[in-house]
Amino acid sequence: MTRSLRVWVDHSRCVGNAMCLATAPNVFAHNANRQSEVVNESGDTPDTILEAASICPTSAIHVEDAETGERLFPAS
Amino acid sequence: MTVAHIDDLFSPSVNQDPHAYFARLRETDPVHWNERFKLWVVTRYEDVVWLLRHHEYFSSAVIKTTEAPPYPPVNPEDVPLYDEIRRFRADQLVEKDRPEHLDMRKVVHKYFTPTAMEGWREFVRDAVTELLDEIQPTGRMNVMTDFAAPLPVRIIAQMMGVPYEDRDHLRELADKILWANRGEPYRLRVLHEGMQGLIEYSAPLVEQRMKQPENDFISALAEGEKAGVLTRYQVLVNTALLLFAGHETTMNLICNGLLAFMRNPDQWDRLRADPDGLARLAVEECMRYDPPVKSTQRVAAQDVELGGKQIDAGDRIRWIIAAANRDPSVFEDPDTFDIGRQPNPHVAFGSGIHYCLGATLARVEGQEVFRGLAQRFPRIVLETEDLEYQPSLQFRSLKSLPVRWEKEKP
Repeated sequence: MTRSLRVWVDHSRCVGNAMCLATAPNVFAHNANRQSEVVNESGDTPDTILEAASICPTSAIHVEDAETGERLFPAS
Repeated sequence: MTVAHIDDLFSPSVNQDPHAYFARLRETDPVHWNERFKLWVVTRYEDVVWLLRHHEYFSSAVIKTTEAPPYPPVNPEDVPLYDEIRRFRADQLVEKDRPEHLDMRKVVHKYFTPTAMEGWREFVRDAVTELLDEIQPTGRMNVMTDFAAPLPVRIIAQMMGVPYEDRDHLRELADKILWANRGEPYRLRVLHEGMQGLIEYSAPLVEQRMKQPENDFISALAEGEKAGVLTRYQVLVNTALLLFAGHETTMNLICNGLLAFMRNPDQWDRLRADPDGLARLAVEECMRYDPPVKSTQRVAAQDVELGGKQIDAGDRIRWIIAAANRDPSVFEDPDTFDIGRQPNPHVAFGSGIHYCLGATLARVEGQEVFRGLAQRFPRIVLETEDLEYQPSLQFRSLKSLPVRWEKEKP
């Protein structure tokens, strides 16, 4: 069984680059400000979600292990 | 002020002090139709962000779709070169719209992730140290030619995977490509030589990386060709784009930022007191206060209303980063250079789908440069107040920045 993630977007950093929507389209969607929102934390696989977080140009996406609370992205 | 004057976008006084001119536009007519140059000028922060995040209304394919002649004018016999330069630039990522843009951006994005760019910090720091070690004993430098222009080329050359012995050749080509931003009527010749030279130089590198990929960005582009996203021509013109985009902008960040520090010595003292702690915020403030890119263009892809004005499909639009970054509705005391400013949501790297691919690299470079300078030089002073800028609407680029430094008094 794959682990479940807690995912959120820091709107003070998000610039609407939309690479997360292109990478994990079932997790992220744009709001009225064209900033990213999490619509379904388990919409795509954990690997895909982590890839979306890693390519965000402003590192606005935060990912944690839902069970352990371990921070998976960003690293620091 | 008369209407004719407010539309004189290229006047020497506007080029010298764009901030005063664009502030007046932002206050009086934030979405302004410039009758003289037949384009919209957008200056308010909120409108700029909205425009950038609604790419479906505003196409980036400006070069392909507009027939505006080069300005300032060029020699008539060079006009055929302009057509070739247009073809070259029209295939670059920055001129593409979705869906093509997304496919191309995915090709290069993996190379430029923030984590990957952080990995370059040590190399950047060493390059800064090496250059400053050479310059420091002389007591003075022309910041532009001695430091700000060579540094980014050294870094990009490494990222491209250029052999050490070819560095000087690459630097010559990079310097020629910078002529894109100058005003001389014969500038297209030099630019064209640079473009041709870079294509000729890069072609065998690409060929080699197609067969044997390495960990450099030419290999990333070559992967895009293998995947059927890029043509060979697109691989080559986008190699040129990365060289130019990482060169022109970074050198302007260094020069404009250092000038701001020299004009605000209290902020230099503040940075010197805590270079490690303040470099990050200081670079954001340099980017906001006097951005390397003053403005960029779009073309309306469909009829759209912006700031109460009706923009028609096909209209040209200039969005002014330098004005949005000093919008008082977002930034308190916007004309004050404050290196502790936080939050600092400037739009110097743009916003939306075209947000600067190299933003993290630029930040790392800026942080290492200002940290390195602050650790070495208690005081840097201008050797002249007579500073000139390249006649460009797009770039805020000093022609020269001569400075000297003093030793700390015992």
